[in-house]
Amino acid sequence: MKLLNITNRYYIIIALVLLLLSSAFLAYRVVYVVDNEVSEHMLFEKLEIEKQLALQEDLQNIHFIVGDRLEIKPIEKFTSFRVSIKDTVIYDLYEKEKVPYRLLSYQQLVKGKSYNIKLARRLTENKQLVSGIFISLLLVSIDIIICFYFLNRWFSSRVWNPFYKALNILKNFDVQKGGNVKFQKSKVDEFNTLNAELAKLTDKVTRDYRNLREFTENMSHETQTPLAIIRSKLEILLQNSPSEENAKQILSTLDSVNRLSKMNKGLIMLTRIENEQYSGQQEIHLGTLIHKHLEDLELFITSRDIQVHTTIDNNVHIRMNPHLAGILFTNMLSNSIKYNKNHGDLFIEVSQDGIKIANSGEPLIIPGQEVFERFKKGDAPDSVGLGLAIVKKIIDHQDYTIHYEYVNNLHTFSIRFEKASIHIEEIEA
Amino acid sequence: MKILIIEDEKQLLESIMTFLKESGMNCDKASSLAEAVEKIDTSEYDCIVLDIGLPDGSGLKIIDEMQKKDNQTAIVIVSAKNSLDDRLVGLNFGADDYITKPFHMPELVARIKSVVRRRTVQEKNEICFNELRVVPNEMLMYVNNKMISLTKKEHELLVYLISNPNKVLTKESIAEFLWGDHADMADSFDFIYSHIKNLRKKITDNGGNDYLKSIYGVGYKFVAE
Repeated sequence: MKLLNITNRYYIIIALVLLLLSSAFLAYRVVYVVDNEVSEHMLFEKLEIEKQLALQEDLQNIHFIVGDRLEIKPIEKFTSFRVSIKDTVIYDLYEKEKVPYRLLSYQQLVKGKSYNIKLARRLTENKQLVSGIFISLLLVSIDIIICFYFLNRWFSSRVWNPFYKALNILKNFDVQKGGNVKFQKSKVDEFNTLNAELAKLTDKVTRDYRNLREFTENMSHETQTPLAIIRSKLEILLQNSPSEENAKQILSTLDSVNRLSKMNKGLIMLTRIENEQYSGQQEIHLGTLIHKHLEDLELFITSRDIQVHTTIDNNVHIRMNPHLAGILFTNMLSNSIKYNKNHGDLFIEVSQDGIKIANSGEPLIIPGQEVFERFKKGDAPDSVGLGLAIVKKIIDHQDYTIHYEYVNNLHTFSIRFEKASIHIEEIEA
Repeated sequence: MKILIIEDEKQLLESIMTFLKESGMNCDKASSLAEAVEKIDTSEYDCIVLDIGLPDGSGLKIIDEMQKKDNQTAIVIVSAKNSLDDRLVGLNFGADDYITKPFHMPELVARIKSVVRRRTVQEKNEICFNELRVVPNEMLMYVNNKMISLTKKEHELLVYLISNPNKVLTKESIAEFLWGDHADMADSFDFIYSHIKNLRKKITDNGGNDYLKSIYGVGYKFVAE
């Protein structure tokens, strides 16, 4: 969920709860105030009535105060000074229903005679009052929330804009490509701090990465000459008729030099791909390329009686650096033969979507997802362990994907040309 | 055969000199660009072994210089960079061959001999050895003037062996010469063995001497005496 939506959601929930509570409180208060006001007013009226009654000579001559009902009933004996106020309902002839009234009754002595006086005032119905308040408050609330929602969105997107920009920059940041990462200045101090820290971080990451790459590159290059010297000296020693024991020592040293040299070549290859030193691309016909590589490897295939099954769509072309394509297929195919078993199978499938290369063989002793890691070589002690790392690097470089799995006793590598441009040749009618 | 070795690494220079001398070549050395240019101007060489990375500039300048002076000497570039670009640039510049450090000495010898053959004798560039004659670029050899066809790998192997007479050639160096990137395939050594066996048979069956000697555990040797 987006940050904006989360904050908006909380705001709206809080606003709703607050509005509900406050409207309930408001309704309660309004009812209370109106109620009090009525009673208070009636008490004032009572005073007025008392005053007016006291002035009356004859109670036959009574003026009703408009709006309220006033009933004066003579009683035999004055019994109480109590003034009672209570709510009641009286049937209204016009509305033809019972309507609420507040009734004030008391007894008064007028010129020695006792009277029971009842003053009734019609009340606004509380129910109506409350629902009126609720409805108007609800409308106001909805208005506020809608305005709030859009305003908040607008404000937030303005305020958070630098944050999203920074996020986008980070998303597109590629340590291999490096380059200067420029963050936008913002009015918000926190974002500026964040951006400054991110800039420092990306800068450091890029620099470290470059240093590491340079180190690997220099290291591998600089080792080549000493290796050449060691190898040349050993080969000279070998010519001078060494004893069998010495020859053995020389050979095993030569073996190590070979391994080191292969490792170096692999590392140089990796850094070179990373450095984008293979840029020139060409249209490559996959069928032709694969058949060429199979031909190169034919000797090794036939000697181990490996059955090659190819399903190749002959219309598939890819755009790729030809040298990289060569390395890719050399590594993948020689791998599929090296780690095959005698009388095993090799399946090669080329379609518009990708390439699948599968070979029979014993399951790996390392987890499948680690096959592409450098120097992971499972149970192949003679291997340098860079072949598939180079394959992966080339695949990444091409924006393809590669996936390894072991199914039906087959080591299966699937390459997908995801973002790649596949060219389908027009088939002549 | 007179060779100029241009290499700034003293130790490597020494090794190359030793090995080439033992292979019957006449060697001269230069360890800087300036020195090399001077030597090329004053002496005639059959081949120049050129390290590209020199302290006072790129070795490619020497090739440039030589072409300006229309010097036709064969050139084998030695480079620490196994880069296609370098290889292409070097070969485009007019070098005849390219070898990457660390290389096998016998391979350097085979390459030098090959480029010198290509440069000097245009028509009759066969490799002759007593009763043997090997025709480069064609998968053929003659034993006592009898034409015998070879497979591609047998031919390459024979050229490699005959270029390094009386030298112990390790299986690794042979495998790398024959198969390059695929040299570390599991059974490449077995193939060398069977190729050697076939070659020996083809030579001896036609009245040739058995020059191909196995050296147990190490490799093979083309015995010339």
